[in-house]
Amino acid sequence: MASNLLQEKSAGPSGAYPAPPGRERREAAFPAGVFRPATLLLCHHGTRGAAAAEALAFELAVPGVTTIIHCLIVPELWAGMQGDDWLNNASTRDAFGDYVENMLENDARRELAAVETRCREMGFAYRSVLRFGDPAKTALAVAAEVDANLVVIGPPRRKGEEGLRSRMDLETLARGLACPLLIAQRT
Amino acid sequence: MIYTRKSPALLVIGVIMLLWGWLNASGSVDGVQSWLQHSAWSDHQKVEKKYEADLKAAAEKAQATGVPAPEMKMPKSKFDSAKAKQAQLSYIFGGIAAALGLLILLWTPKEGSLDYYLSIFPGMAFILLIAFIVRWGLDPMFANWGSAAKPALGWDFAKIFNLNYVVLGIVIGIVVVNVFRIPDWAANGVRTARFFLKTGVILLGTLYSAAELAQLGMLSVVMIGIFVLGSVWMVLLMGKRMQAGNSMTAVLSAGMGVCGVSATVAASPVVNAKAAEIAYTIGTILVWGVGCMFIFPTIGHLLGMGPVQFGAWAGTGILNSAQVAGAALAFDPKGIETLKVAEIFNITRVLFLPIIVIWLAAWYVKHEAGAEKVNLGNVLISKFPVFVLGFILMFALSTIGVFAPADQYKGKYFDAAKVKEQSLLKENETAALGKELARLREAEGAKALQDYFTANVVNVGKRHATPEDAHQAIADLIANRKETTREQDALLRSIGKLPGLDEGAKKALGNAHKAAWHSSKAIGAFRDWIAWLFAFGLIGLGMQITGAALKQAGGKPLVIGGVVGTVKAVGSLIVVLLFVKEFI
Repeated sequence: MASNLLQEKSAGPSGAYPAPPGRERREAAFPAGVFRPATLLLCHHGTRGAAAAEALAFELAVPGVTTIIHCLIVPELWAGMQGDDWLNNASTRDAFGDYVENMLENDARRELAAVETRCREMGFAYRSVLRFGDPAKTALAVAAEVDANLVVIGPPRRKGEEGLRSRMDLETLARGLACPLLIAQRT
Repeated sequence: MIYTRKSPALLVIGVIMLLWGWLNASGSVDGVQSWLQHSAWSDHQKVEKKYEADLKAAAEKAQATGVPAPEMKMPKSKFDSAKAKQAQLSYIFGGIAAALGLLILLWTPKEGSLDYYLSIFPGMAFILLIAFIVRWGLDPMFANWGSAAKPALGWDFAKIFNLNYVVLGIVIGIVVVNVFRIPDWAANGVRTARFFLKTGVILLGTLYSAAELAQLGMLSVVMIGIFVLGSVWMVLLMGKRMQAGNSMTAVLSAGMGVCGVSATVAASPVVNAKAAEIAYTIGTILVWGVGCMFIFPTIGHLLGMGPVQFGAWAGTGILNSAQVAGAALAFDPKGIETLKVAEIFNITRVLFLPIIVIWLAAWYVKHEAGAEKVNLGNVLISKFPVFVLGFILMFALSTIGVFAPADQYKGKYFDAAKVKEQSLLKENETAALGKELARLREAEGAKALQDYFTANVVNVGKRHATPEDAHQAIADLIANRKETTREQDALLRSIGKLPGLDEGAKKALGNAHKAAWHSSKAIGAFRDWIAWLFAFGLIGLGMQITGAALKQAGGKPLVIGGVVGTVKAVGSLIVVLLFVKEFI
């Protein structure tokens, strides 16, 4: 995987700023100064793969240089989740819609806050973008908006692995991006 | 926010409908229509032939007598009526769509209710256009192809796979949302499908007799009671065994047990279901529901089930309520007898919903540490299906005779006063009856009648019928040349089945029965509108079944759902085949 290749190239500690105590940085994937992304777009949705993407992003980001832009996309599958319910009253449907919306928003906010805290601890500048839509198309749009130098995503889930069936279409993403794309190693 | 999208779509749809109306009215598409509406076209040819023969006979008579031939007009055939109906509906809805389409193009509404209501029309017209295409085009087309392929295949694929307007409409809806996506201008209108389905159920209330509703209601309460409570209990048990989590188990049991997605939507907030749990449950239910909608009608036809049996089975065994209606109409698209039965089961299910939600809320509070208690009264009131009151109101109005005489059955009612002059018994018919009356008055005939009445438990009011009752009924019929009471009609119907009865007399009894029974125009119109409302609603609901939601089926919910869904479908089929007869 990509991070393996990068690790082979690594030649020692990098990063101009010391990490906070207790959060020592791992050996960098890049030698210092080889690739210093100013804007790193991290697609992170709180899954196991996202944790791997976060770890890779922290290896590549350079404190004081890199701004990590955390892109959290609520997949559009939720738009069809009231499905073909027709028996309920409007109030029951509204209650369900509000309930799901609040839950998704709270989950997302919690996730954003957690990643932000870890970024701050590592000394990285952080911004977040919360969007609703198709994962690949939305990631492409956000990458263009923020003028990302690098996009980091988690590895695709293995078949049969538990989780919502909402995958990033890698081909769409890879073909559409104007910057490098890194897929974190499966942990 | 302005909801109305400036798009020519509504105008285009309106123009297409108007054009179709004009093509039908002008006879320009008679060639296509004669192929699509095969049996109506055969009727048209017969009517035309008869008219030409009558015309020729009148001309010859006029020539012979020297009196000018009377003006004659060809009577309307079924083909003419079908075309006229298509033209009429196309003109009405096409006109409305074109006018509103122009308004949308030329006028920009301000934020508010008017804007919102205007925004729903393009989507409604979009669904209606699909309904027209499916009902007038694809349905007869597949029926023709099915018949044409039958000699080669040995079976009618269109009938076996239920390729009728309902199934095709739902499939088109699913294809539209998943392949093309619903256009922005149509999004608001598509959501109105629920309203039209509920309106269909409310109007359905006009079609039941009190006896029918009582029998179906009792049957549905027993079956739904057993299978709803049984499947809720089974999911709770399996969920615990498989350690699926309390909220997951609770929301899945509501969905699997009661009425599918609707129950999931109602129960999720009450049992604090997590986002992924809701997604898994809805995905599982939709996969099962859509699959059953295609499989159930085929099995029903293969097993030779009638409307009551199939309606009871679909109403109990199919997890999702929308697909219950779809399967019932797919099984019996021409009449709506199966839908009538299935919808009683749907209504019973939705009436069970508040009770099940309360049960699950209590179960969840008991099993989940820190779970907040819910206000049971609030749940009961907020989950009560208000549209059921509309159904009851329409049933009550129908029962007191607002739409048709109160004793109507399946839209037909007895009325001796309305028997037309030309429908009175002819001389040869009364003669045949007189001859039979004389024979039945003799000892041998009277004995045959007595034996027949005893063997078939024929009653007059609350007592057993006697040969004298039969003699009186036939004598009255001869005297009046028509039936005069419903009691007489029932007795004469029984006599008509007497073995050894003269064919001429039998025919006369049949004609007298036919003449005294009338179809209610109002009930007929309701039946037609109900079919349209369900077709419209189901196409719209099809547009809300997304592949993304279906894909979420998986994990423990799919295993539990698969087991419970199968047990419910097979169990209810066995119960229906063993205990439910076509007695309504």
